[in-house]
Amino acid sequence: MPDMTSLAVGDRLVYPNQGLCTVTEIKTEEIAGSKLTFVSLVITETGAKVKVPREKLEKNGVRRVSTPDDVKGVVDYLRSDSEKASLDWKKRARDNTARLSEGGLIGLAEVVKGLQVLSELRPLPPKEREQYNDARHLFVEELGAAMSVQAADAEDAFDILLFVPGKDRPKRSVEEFQALGLGGEDDLGLEGDLLGLDGSEETPEEPAEPEEKAEEGEGDAEGGDEDEGPKKKKSAAIAAPKPPKGKKSLISDLEVTAPAATALVEPAPKKRGRPPKPKPEVTEPPPPPKKRGRPPKPKPAVTEPPPPPKKRGRPPKAK
Amino acid sequence: MIRIFTLDEFDPALLKALTKSLYTAFGVGSEHSGAVTAPHGQQEPYDANKLLETLPKVHALKDDKVLFLTSRKLAPRKLASGEAPTFGLSRYSAQLAVVTAVHIKNVADNVKLLTRYAMHEVAHTYGLHHCLDPRCSMYPQWTPSYANGDCIFCTYCRDSVDAKIRTTKS
Repeated sequence: MPDMTSLAVGDRLVYPNQGLCTVTEIKTEEIAGSKLTFVSLVITETGAKVKVPREKLEKNGVRRVSTPDDVKGVVDYLRSDSEKASLDWKKRARDNTARLSEGGLIGLAEVVKGLQVLSELRPLPPKEREQYNDARHLFVEELGAAMSVQAADAEDAFDILLFVPGKDRPKRSVEEFQALGLGGEDDLGLEGDLLGLDGSEETPEEPAEPEEKAEEGEGDAEGGDEDEGPKKKKSAAIAAPKPPKGKKSLISDLEVTAPAATALVEPAPKKRGRPPKPKPEVTEPPPPPKKRGRPPKPKPAVTEPPPPPKKRGRPPKAK
Repeated sequence: MIRIFTLDEFDPALLKALTKSLYTAFGVGSEHSGAVTAPHGQQEPYDANKLLETLPKVHALKDDKVLFLTSRKLAPRKLASGEAPTFGLSRYSAQLAVVTAVHIKNVADNVKLLTRYAMHEVAHTYGLHHCLDPRCSMYPQWTPSYANGDCIFCTYCRDSVDAKIRTTKS
């Protein structure tokens, strides 16, 4: 972390997830009996004003603009055939969020390159597309400031490394990502269609079926198994090819991350949580549904015809 | 409003088709506002950055986008990571952009590609970045498949540019 103690008015800083900002004022104020030094910043793009205590600058992740040496390192990183992004969407989202907030220029480059390489395997879901665009925006902005060039030149400077002139982007295969061991095959976040795989290349379904039956209704097992390692996930993937409908996460990626069937045949480990209630055996057809509302009154049995109604008024005079 | 200024002579029918296509693409007015001459001392191939800096000031409102159109070559830009082919250049989230038609064979019959280049640069002036979708006009222009694409934005870029146009102060 660069030194933030020797700040001066006019210095350019980078506020995480906000972009470039400029120091406009450094002032000591007395608040509740204690003297605090506040640094006023103006976000360059939006013009928003932020006032931060000097002690909290580092804690908030505010840093100085990268140097040309940092840019060289970033260019080398972009040029290299670096490791691919994790195929586990949860891990990827967590890593990328951390990189955006505290990773510096190289962190931004990692997010941009990681998601771009992933997009060569399959289209990015909307949330990640948005994250990619945010990262690219912050990266271009800082790179331009670090290299003292226009944003257009800064963007093209790294895009000619990511999109090589005269060449179309390569098609990535799942194997390239699997070779990293960063996530099991079940963590691909891919449907078979997106992979372009035939049904014939997938695992024969026979071993998966009994497991599937055994685990019907075990929605709870999906939730907190993130830290249990890839093996557990793999077996879960074999057993439950589709996530339960009622357990959709807010993150849209989950919708496209139904784990693909795999070739692994391992004994399923014990699932955590309450076992499912045994379903009652259905032998007889279910009774017809009860009619709602008050039952109708029983009609009286009609035996004789009812007497004629009495004539009203005075009876006729006798003649 | 997108105002097109020509640095060289272009067929009026071509300019008409271009303005119409830009109007369709962005949903804002587009017109050929006149011709300007290249700044003194600029020789082919033009340095795109210098050209944008030294071009004469043209009459435009604050939220107008000004697109300069030339049939001369723009020199590739030398950047930290290599040489970037230059089909056009723009100032991000600003007003000015320049596009060259020199790479397009038989421009009169290939307005579509010129429009794609123009859309790309004008969208940069609205603050959009390069896109991952090869069909989108915001895909990097130096890729071989770019010339075969249509004058369209992907859904994400379409939404972004619409949002930018809506929030532009007028």
